This record gives sequence, C-alpha cells and structure tokens, in this order.
Amino acid sequence: MKKLIKKYLKNPMLLIFIIILIFFTPMAIYSPGENKIKGVVTAIGIDKIDEEYEVSLLTFIPTANQTYKQQNAVVSGKGKSVTEAIYNAQLSMGRSVGLAHAKTTVVNEQLLNEDVAQIVDHISRISSLPENTVFICTNATAKELLESTTGLETELGLKLEQLIGFNSTNLYAIDTSLESFYKGYFGQTHSSIIGHLSLEEESKEDSKQNEGEDNSENNGESQATQNQKKLTNKGDAVILKRGELVAKLSSEQLNALNLLNSKSIKQIVNIEDVKLDSGIHDLSYRIRNKRVLKSTKFENGYPVFQAQVILGMELTEVKGMNENFKENTEISEMNKEIKEKLNLKLKKQFTDALKILIENKTDIINITEEFFKNDRKAFNKYIKNLNSIDEFISHVNFKVSIIINTD
Amino acid sequence: MKQTINIRQCGIILIMCIFANKLLLMPSLLYTNVKADGIFVTAILFLIELAIIPLIFLLKKHFPKQSLYEILKSRTGVIFTKLIYMLLLIFFLFKIILVFSITYVYFKQQIYKDEIIWIALISILPVINHSVANGIRPLARTMEIFFALVLIGFLACLGFSLFTNIELPHMFLSDIQSFFGAMYKHLFSFGDMIFLFLILDKIEIKEGEEKKVYHYAILGFILIIMLYFLYYGKYQVTSFMHNNALADILVFSVQFNAIGRLDIIAMITILFITIFQLEIFSYGFSDCFLHIFPKLNNIYSIIVFDITFLILYYFFLGKYEIMINLTSTWLTVLAVIINVIFPLILFVIYLVKRSKNEETD
Repeated sequence: MKKLIKKYLKNPMLLIFIIILIFFTPMAIYSPGENKIKGVVTAIGIDKIDEEYEVSLLTFIPTANQTYKQQNAVVSGKGKSVTEAIYNAQLSMGRSVGLAHAKTTVVNEQLLNEDVAQIVDHISRISSLPENTVFICTNATAKELLESTTGLETELGLKLEQLIGFNSTNLYAIDTSLESFYKGYFGQTHSSIIGHLSLEEESKEDSKQNEGEDNSENNGESQATQNQKKLTNKGDAVILKRGELVAKLSSEQLNALNLLNSKSIKQIVNIEDVKLDSGIHDLSYRIRNKRVLKSTKFENGYPVFQAQVILGMELTEVKGMNENFKENTEISEMNKEIKEKLNLKLKKQFTDALKILIENKTDIINITEEFFKNDRKAFNKYIKNLNSIDEFISHVNFKVSIIINTD
Repeated sequence: MKQTINIRQCGIILIMCIFANKLLLMPSLLYTNVKADGIFVTAILFLIELAIIPLIFLLKKHFPKQSLYEILKSRTGVIFTKLIYMLLLIFFLFKIILVFSITYVYFKQQIYKDEIIWIALISILPVINHSVANGIRPLARTMEIFFALVLIGFLACLGFSLFTNIELPHMFLSDIQSFFGAMYKHLFSFGDMIFLFLILDKIEIKEGEEKKVYHYAILGFILIIMLYFLYYGKYQVTSFMHNNALADILVFSVQFNAIGRLDIIAMITILFITIFQLEIFSYGFSDCFLHIFPKLNNIYSIIVFDITFLILYYFFLGKYEIMINLTSTWLTVLAVIINVIFPLILFVIYLVKRSKNEETD
C-alpha cells in the first residue's frame, strides 16, 4: 500500500488531478442549481418609450410539475440602452438572463423609423444568436405581443417561433432570421425583409359571445366592454432599407414576389369568370410544384432579366352551380382560357409587387446580386453611370414567361 | 525514454501547426481586409510556408544527427544562434498567448459565460506543463491517439455545414494593395511549421518516407481551404460578424428544425486542437529557453514559461483586442524574421555546405 501511494505521488498529473478535485468538488456541491440563478429567455421584445428602451423578456422558468406545462412569464426592464434594459429586467426577474435559447426578437414598428440595426446590436453580439433568432416587428408594443403569446401557448399549444417558422417556410420562403436581416443590411442594396405580426383589439364582449350565449346572458349586464389585444398572423412582412421601414407587404404581394423563388410553393391563385362547358365559374388553383430558370444579360448595354417559370397547378375549388363538377371532384383539365387568365393574374401580381421594390429602391429578391454574380464586368460598367447601386433594379428589363401545367 | 518521433507523428504535428490560429477568428479578420479573397491570402501564405518542408528534408539529409542549435552554432557562432533562439522563444510565447486568448474567448462565449480566467488556466496549464516535461515523444504519441478524433470532428463540422444555406462566395473583390497588405498583416498567424526545425534531430525519416509529410501538409491545407470556403459561402457579407469559423459553420438556422446546438462537435474538436497546439508551442518555448540557458533544466523552463505567460496574459495581453492588434502590427515584424529570413539563413547554410562539399556530420 505504501509503495502504491509512493508510486502515485510520484506522478505529477495525478497530484494535479487531486488538487483540481479538491478545488472544484466543493464548488460544484455548494453552487445553487442553474434554474435558480438563470432565467431561460425564449423571446426578446424591444420598445422605445420616452427616449428609453424597454426590453421585455418572455421567460421560461423551469419548475418541477406533473402537467408538462411550461411556466412562461413576460418580464421587462427599462434603460437608456438595450443592455441596461436587459440588466434591469433581470433585476426584476431575480435571475440572470440566459439568452442562448431566444428564438424570437420582436421590435415595435415605430423603432423601424430609425436604423434598427443599432437597436439590435447587443443581440447580434451574442454568439450564435443571430442565426437562431427570428426577427419580426409588430404594430403594437413588443411587450404586448409577447404577453399575447402566453395565451397562444395555453390555448393552442403554439409557440411564437413556430408561428413565424410556419410563415418562413410557407410564405416568405426565405430566411427571416436576424442573420438574414444583417445579410440584407450589409448587402449591396442594404435591403432586408422581416416578418410582421399584428395585434388586433378584440372586445371581451365579442370573445364571450364566442364562448357561448349562456355565459353572455348571465354576465352580459355587468360586463363593461374591455379591450383585449389578440395576435393575428396575416402573413405580412416589412421591407427595410438601411434598417428603416420603407414599405409593408401583404401576404399576396409576398406570394407574387415569390414567383421567382422555386422554394415557394402551395400558394393559391384565384381566377374569376372562367367560361367552361357548364357555365361561368370562379376557380381556385394551388401551385403544386415550381421550376424557375433564370438568366441575366446585358442587351445593348442594358440589363435584362429573363425567367421562365414552370408551374404545376392543381384545381382546388370551383365556385358556381354545376352538377357535373359536384360529381367529379378531380377535374384537372385546363383549357387555353384558364391558362391565359392564370398567366395574366400571376404576371400582374408580380408586376404590382415589383413596383413597390422599384419605388423604394429595395432589392429583396436579389436581382442586383444576380447580375453582379453573372457578369461582373458589365455590371460594374453599368453601375458607373448610375447615381447609386440602389437604382439598378429600376433599370432592369424583366422578361418573365410563365408556363402552366396540370401535372 | 528515446526522444524521437516517426514520420507519421511528424505529419500530425505538422497538421496541428497548420491549424494554429486559422480555425476561429482568422477567416473573419481576413474578410474584414479582403472579403472572400481571404481564401487566396491563406493559400498563398500556406504555399510560402510549405517551402519549409523541403528545407527540413535537405537539412536533415546533410545534418542527420545534429540539432538546429548545433547547426546554427557551428556555422554562425554562439551569439547569433542565441539571438535566433531568443527570437524563436518570443515567437512561440506570443503564439501561445494568441492561441489561448482566441480559444478562451470562444469558450467563454460558448460555455463558461461568467466564469473567470483562472479556471481556464487551472485546466490548461498543468496539461501543457506536463507534456513539456515528458518531452516530444509522449506529446506526439498523444496526438497520434487523438488524431482520428480530431479529424472526424473537423470533417463532421464541414459536413454538417453543408445542410445550411451555402452559396458561392464572391471572390476577387479586393485590390492588390489590400491583398498584399492582408498577407503582411496576418503573417504572424502562419509560419507555425518552423517548430519542425527545433525537433530536426528528433525526427526519424526512413528512405522514401518524405512524401508522407507532404500528404499531411496537403490534407491540412485542403481542410483549411474547405473551412474558409464553406464559411464565406454561408455567411457572405456578414462573415466579419462571426468570430468562430469552425463552430459558426455548424450553427443552424431556426428554419432547419432548430437543431441549433450541434456546435458541441466543434467545441470538442477545438478543445483538442488547442491543447495540442499549446503543447507544441510551449515545447518550442522550453526548447529555446534550455538552449539559451543550457545550465537550467526543464523544470526551470516550465516555471519561467508559466510566470511569463501569466504576467503577459493577465496584466497586459489578456485584453483580446490588444493581442489581436499586436499580431497585426509589431509581431508581423517578428513573423517576417522567423517565417522568411530565418528559413533563408538555413537555406544559405545548406547551400554553403553543399558547395564546400563538406562531409556529412
């Protein structure tokens, strides 16, 4: 035994290991649990009130329970900077803030009147967060939006980031993370797009009525109309130029811009007054698959963007009286008129949406970059004649042809 | 214990040297200077560095049993040799501080958050001291054991990054002045292969084995270039915002199922690579120290290293920005001497010996 101890004591690494154990074991035993000192933040909201920032943190407090229900709460703090506001928020929470799991960053729409990059600067400095957090704005205060999401979670089991995630894959068809905002911000045209969630006022009377008439009869008299804001996802988005809001896009306009985005499918296109054998009908089609062939060139020194969009569409709804349609729900035949109407509708939508981009000199569909990538020499030559690179999109001649198939 | 290493171990040390200071902050700094042309800056600096390998073989061929110190002493005299060793000592000391500070900041961001420096020092210093005390052979053998793990980790980082949005980075955007300026500015982050000169007499090379070292060098080079390419392809214009390249290429966007924290793979890989690099450089420091003060032994060199490192790091250079700034200003002068002039001196020594047709020592 003595020999063994001597042998071990001769090994310096073992001694160091023992010393480390002596140091760290008591520390590990006496240190409190992480959940007692840290509040896990799942969403951050930033507002500006009277020259002060208010940061609201949607926190998840891990507690032992048998219902698997998360305990969420919104904690907020004010300060002259975002960091100070977060510091004050953690004072009211009684825990230090853990931002590594923050999946959403919300800012008030009014904050977009100035360069928002300066406001979210602190968040961008947190390692791995820019990529992991979705960046959105709201018409109400960010605090109100976060508060409304706690209800969303209790009622629907839906989390805020899931809602935005749905928009991202089905509507925007582009990444709307903080990282992608910065990509646009530091890009050639300094244009980015971020999601927009609305809070709409809903009177308590209305909501009670929805719950059932019995209840409203019993309590109706005593109930004063109380306003309550409810989160509604209309699928809107906003365009930012150098971090400032310049235009708002509806879901329809977004879909139109996504015509050139091969990842973006499942949109519904409605056409009216289509003459079929059985009469005149309104039809709804869904884009089932999409193939986009793009090319850029300079024709006589002018930029031309050519795209061929091949759409696979399926009929999803027929409006109008027709016995034949009622019996055969899988009508997929498409006549010339339908194709022309669909073509016209899609092109019109795209042109209207494109006008918004041209008016605001914002290239969120990366046309400028396409030209730069494909023919850098001609692009640079052309840019020299412009006042700014932002104007380039307005000089581009768009030639988009749409081929519609039913397969 | 016989303090020699075989050609495979030499190759593994070489790869660790190639990785030094290039996996985390370097791509981001290069992007700030020359955008995605950082790939070419790295490639050119690496090719210059690669010229060291044939020089090592030439010296080894003509001075098979002699150490670098003996070669320099017999040709240039004691004072000049000690001066060179002094510069090498400073070179390795700053390399250690640079590697440690970059990795410390990375780990502080990732896991420690509020922890303080002494915890990192307690964890790392004994390990590197122990490896220096044991000599080059155990150090190389440890690296050999963990090499497969490091390689798998590195390849996993590159592989998983392919599941994120990657586009072709825009190249050839920098002008000649900024391109060569960046080459000069970041010279200190290269030249780690110089370490092989210090262990010249300890490398056992059998007939025809030389090409193995080239294979390892090319493997290291390809991995670095792939990392830079994927990193610039993923982040494009925001590359300057992401300071931990190997870990950042693994970060997934929320849209991709929010896997998020796969960066544990990068953490383990970076941890091993950093420890091995620190061991290599501290061995280099110790070797230089013992040649400058031949009457002292390993223990003294370790104590001096620990004290110097702690003083420099804690009181002065621990400030991340100061260290980074220093490497691109004053330390580039040292890098020119060590990475360019020093190999040239050795090449001249080789040429003189060949022209005199001296007998092999």
